[in-house]
Amino acid sequence: MIVEQIPIDQFIAQLSHSGIRVKLGPVNVQIQTKLPQLAKQLHFLYAYYDIVEDEIVDIHAQILPKFSFSNPFSSFIRFTIDGQSPFPPFPTDQALAALEWGINLVIAIRINHLLMFHSAAVERNGFLILLPAWPGSGKTTLCTALIHRGYRLFSDEFGLMDPFSDFFTPIPRLMPLKNQSIQVIRNYLPEVVLGEKIYNTQKGTIAHVRPPRDHILRTNQFVSAKWIIFPKWTANAPLTLEPLPQSEAFLLLASNSFNYEILGESAFRAVTRLIRNCQCYQLIYSDFDSVLALLNKLTDEA
Amino acid sequence: MKLSLSNHHQLLLNAIINPDILIQYDSKEWELVLRLARKVKLLGFLAVELERRKLMSTIPVRAVNQLRSSLIRVKKQQQLAFWELDRINWALKSIQIPIIVLKGVAYRLAELPAAEGRFFVDLDILIPKGNLNQVEKILLKEGWKHREISAYDEHYYRAWSHEIPALIHQERETEIDIHHTISPITSKIKIDSCLLIDAAITTQSGHKILNPTDMVLHCAVNLFQNNDLIDNLRDLLDLHDELQFFGRQDPVFWDKLIKRANQLRLGRPLYYGIQYSRLIFQTAIPQNTEQRLMQKPSLILQCIMQQLVPLALFPLHPDKASKRAKFARFLLYIRSHWIRMPFYLLIPHLLYKTLLRFKSGK
Repeated sequence: MIVEQIPIDQFIAQLSHSGIRVKLGPVNVQIQTKLPQLAKQLHFLYAYYDIVEDEIVDIHAQILPKFSFSNPFSSFIRFTIDGQSPFPPFPTDQALAALEWGINLVIAIRINHLLMFHSAAVERNGFLILLPAWPGSGKTTLCTALIHRGYRLFSDEFGLMDPFSDFFTPIPRLMPLKNQSIQVIRNYLPEVVLGEKIYNTQKGTIAHVRPPRDHILRTNQFVSAKWIIFPKWTANAPLTLEPLPQSEAFLLLASNSFNYEILGESAFRAVTRLIRNCQCYQLIYSDFDSVLALLNKLTDEA
Repeated sequence: MKLSLSNHHQLLLNAIINPDILIQYDSKEWELVLRLARKVKLLGFLAVELERRKLMSTIPVRAVNQLRSSLIRVKKQQQLAFWELDRINWALKSIQIPIIVLKGVAYRLAELPAAEGRFFVDLDILIPKGNLNQVEKILLKEGWKHREISAYDEHYYRAWSHEIPALIHQERETEIDIHHTISPITSKIKIDSCLLIDAAITTQSGHKILNPTDMVLHCAVNLFQNNDLIDNLRDLLDLHDELQFFGRQDPVFWDKLIKRANQLRLGRPLYYGIQYSRLIFQTAIPQNTEQRLMQKPSLILQCIMQQLVPLALFPLHPDKASKRAKFARFLLYIRSHWIRMPFYLLIPHLLYKTLLRFKSGK
């Protein structure tokens, strides 16, 4: 069963009572909240996620109302994970942003059985393109464009690699577009399904892209990587795709990983193999048409 | 004494005492036991126990992933703590002073069986009080620094505590807690730490750790004197592990332990330690061992503690925390301060902490 199949009233009731249990790729998450507004957003944006039945849930998240002594007339919520808040309260209208960041934070802290890159990841022609980038490089925006043009979504945030089999695992989560990117995507891809705009967050205005249904359905299909591309959006810059020496790619990739140091030797070996088996590039782009044409050509040739 | 536990506590305890039972847990039970074990920092312990029994392939894959993930982190933390110890020894090699390794790292050095998967974030060492200033000066010169703390906390550490404010190397993340004794200066227990340092033993790797009786006593003091017992099940498991391990190694260990406890006047924390280790983990301790201790707690106190201690040691149910357990934890929190500080210091201290909490909006 998927979220969409639950009538909204029942969904809200379940969410406020025992919570709703959904499968987000390799992690099962239980979400509990009494906020009707958040419930409606989740019913819409989480529409295609599987409901977990008879399986262990890994992460138990709650969004709870929070009274603020210093600001008694405003409404706040806090994100908690098994009763603990990893960050300060958020204004109530940012509840969805708090929930998504909170879950990402817990994933980043807890998962060590997989090597975790801070990276978008998409699949084309049976192989993965890893798009590692630091915040602000436009990886979510590029990822959104790619997955609506024939690429399969793995993640806009986490490249999850099994350090022994070298396979990547999809973790298709909501993708938060920021500020100007929201309008850019609306103009370029009118078919993208977006959540409501959330204003004044730490990262400005954000709106979440709902991952398309067939991408979520294929969460169990793992692939190995063939291309590592470090993308950078630069206004009006000409399109360039330059090969990257393996040594440089190694350093960039190792320092981009969330848990490279924690995994130690197995991470070193995994990144070494990954670099050897992939073509590594640095990409600078400014418009979608040309970058899509380039990546299509690159992934067709191989 | 009889132990009566709620279902979720029993679920966790059965897994710790007899990890074989985990292969019978259904996914609901697994989910709960993983949450509980995470809360009391025992995922790494369970992971090691299951690996030793070669049972990882027989349990649900999500449990394996969580356990492995925790164990990988534990191993990394252990590596970092050992590296910090190596650096400390390097920095202090010019002055010939005994550096006694305490707690987690010491348990690994002593090769205690349950320590392999034990989670520890910092490095704890004990040095003679007379060398404290000298050591601090050298470490500050060699690249360590104090975290920024309030003037109040600074005063708290310097005037009343058994350790100085934690040090951390500017390039690394492992905190070092430098102790000059094993219980706060203000607590009713007065310990001559020279006795502990003189009796310390040297491991094959050349490090100094407390001798077995003192290690047990330190563990008991830390748990029943220095802490509030809240979610400290892991620390009681340490104690169980030590008692079991040393008791098996040395036929006269129990006599030595009782004698040492009486000599150092640490009868009370050891009494509790023995009782609760046996009660909860079924430690093989000879009958009536603890009756030979001086300074046993009164019977009334024992009855009260028995109502409270298990409710604090075991984690609250993550979905439906019992009011009784919360109240027990509150009382033990008060107790921990009560026995740590005299009244005239305690009241201003608690007022200050409460004010601070309101200010930060927590």
